[in-house]
Amino acid sequence: MNRRNLLKLLSISALISSAVGIGYPTVASAAEPKVMVTVVKEAGVPWFNILNQGLEEGGKRFNLKTSMTGPAKADPAQQVKLIEDLIAKKVDVIGLVPLDTKVTAQVVKRARDAGIMVITQEGPNQEGKTWDVELMSAQAYGETQMKALAREMGEQGDYVVLVGTLTTTGHNQWADAAIAYQKANYPKMKMAADRFPGADFIDESERVTQDILKAHPNVTGIMSMGSNGPIGAGNVLKKRNLAGKIALVGTTIPSQAKAHIMAGVIREGFLWSPKEAGLAMTSVARLALDGAKFESGMDVPGLGKATIDSVNNVVMVDRILAINKKTIDDLIKLGL
Amino acid sequence: MHEVIKRFTRTHEFRLLLVIIVMAGLLAVFTPEFASLQNLVDVLSANAFIGIMSAGLLVVIITGGIDLSFAATASIAQYTALTVANHFGIGWTGIFAISISLGVVLGLINGVLMNTLRTSALIVTIATLNVFYGVLLTVTRGADIFSLPDWFNAGFELVFHTDAQGASLAINFQIIALFAAFLVTWLLLNRSNIGRQIYAFGGNPDAAQRVGFNVVRLNLLVYGYMGALAGVASLVQAQLVQSVSPTALVGRELDVVAAVVIGGASLNGGSGTVMGTILGLALIAILQNGLILLGVSSYWSLFNTGLVIIAAVVMMAMETKKRHKLVVQGVTS
Repeated sequence: MNRRNLLKLLSISALISSAVGIGYPTVASAAEPKVMVTVVKEAGVPWFNILNQGLEEGGKRFNLKTSMTGPAKADPAQQVKLIEDLIAKKVDVIGLVPLDTKVTAQVVKRARDAGIMVITQEGPNQEGKTWDVELMSAQAYGETQMKALAREMGEQGDYVVLVGTLTTTGHNQWADAAIAYQKANYPKMKMAADRFPGADFIDESERVTQDILKAHPNVTGIMSMGSNGPIGAGNVLKKRNLAGKIALVGTTIPSQAKAHIMAGVIREGFLWSPKEAGLAMTSVARLALDGAKFESGMDVPGLGKATIDSVNNVVMVDRILAINKKTIDDLIKLGL
Repeated sequence: MHEVIKRFTRTHEFRLLLVIIVMAGLLAVFTPEFASLQNLVDVLSANAFIGIMSAGLLVVIITGGIDLSFAATASIAQYTALTVANHFGIGWTGIFAISISLGVVLGLINGVLMNTLRTSALIVTIATLNVFYGVLLTVTRGADIFSLPDWFNAGFELVFHTDAQGASLAINFQIIALFAAFLVTWLLLNRSNIGRQIYAFGGNPDAAQRVGFNVVRLNLLVYGYMGALAGVASLVQAQLVQSVSPTALVGRELDVVAAVVIGGASLNGGSGTVMGTILGLALIAILQNGLILLGVSSYWSLFNTGLVIIAAVVMMAMETKKRHKLVVQGVTS
């Protein structure tokens, strides 16, 4: 076969294959799993490695070809670039765990305009998304934490709240809900001072806790929304033999908090499972791809009954994990 | 002596000292806890990491350079030393040896790049920051180390008071390392031949080279020294938080730069003192601590911190302007 014939053959086969593509699009897509790529906050960190396990499990279960990507350092501008690449690659679904919903608003809109579905997690305020899926409402999460703190404090006394920063949306929404619940239900409890930033880092939590103990000596309860807060505060309480006197609860990562939980320094911790978050994203993606009707009380496969906020396009399932002496070992085995 | 005091009253350090004395005085009056020994120990230990780093960075900044990779260097030093400690009984000497030598090696990489590329230190160290940090994240996959050897967690401390609850006041590892870092840096800058070369090199690199200073060696020395202190600071930090996280340190560089610059060191090189850096650090630390003790709402404390930094910068700008005016007058007269 000479070169000209080869070229002819190639172009014919190209024509045929493209004609097949145009002629039978539905057949092709029913056989091929849809492609879903999820952009997380930061690639390579343990939290999102576990989230990826959930994506993979969901991929098998719901016939999706899943993969995960993310910036090397938590940077919203990098997320925008990654999403732009995915638009160019014409994936079917983009999963997104947004760092800053305002920064990603434009590019999410471009993805939608290109006919790509966008499923977010930890992004109920993300403009333009198809659906956001949350494993707990800010309200329920804050209230659960406050109930635990009130129980440990005997429903009375002064307490303080630590958050990552004063502008971390999630942390502050949870804190709002917790504080509102205290005001409505525990009149003998009192927040000693406005919430403190620092709970994103252990050393800052230690410093803030030390200063709180001096400035507000009547405090008998500490609640932290950021997961490094209970570790830092716990280090201080342990060192000063105050664990019996001051109740400490908050968002915690089981393997990190094990020593403090077992020693009773952290009375109870709370979290949601990143693996379930990944699974939930794929489950909701499949429901949306199949054109399911989203309404409260519906079943999200793998996760149970959901509450739907159809104004903000948020799917909510109730999967708060309580971390205490009884549950911690099983959660650590899960890889958390 | 009189002459020395007179000269000191005209320096940036003196004004900074006045501000700090006034601030500390007011805080001591309004919050009884501020002047307590417990608070002194708390503030010193909490700021030891930033303090040790700022001592190293001061030396780099005096040469007219800058280093933004030290937090990544510290992360690597910390992670490696304590991973080894978790598997082999290497003890304090072992972890110091590993973290300091790794710090020096990574610092020397910066020094070599500065010498061969002869380009902006900012660009070189931002590049090495990303390389170091990238390697660390790839190798560790971002996993924290939550459990460290007991002897490391216990630390070492000189207890000088134990209260009724059994909580103790002590000069701990953090405080000892902080003072040692400042002392060694002071000796290096003020009591050694190399110190004079560092100031001369920063003030006028061309002239320094022409009079025969070994500029290549100086670069290696200052970046290596920064790396060594990053190694020490990394252990101080890990002992304080009782765990190691590869992502906890990177991103704190500007706090360190702020302490050095508020302390009067010029980013153009040639000027800066250990005393100034200590005062710059103290200003930020006292402010952070005092605002919480006063019960100021967190929403206001950011604003207040910013305000004081602006005030310090204005003060420095005015000094520079005045000095500039004097020079101009000197030239024209």
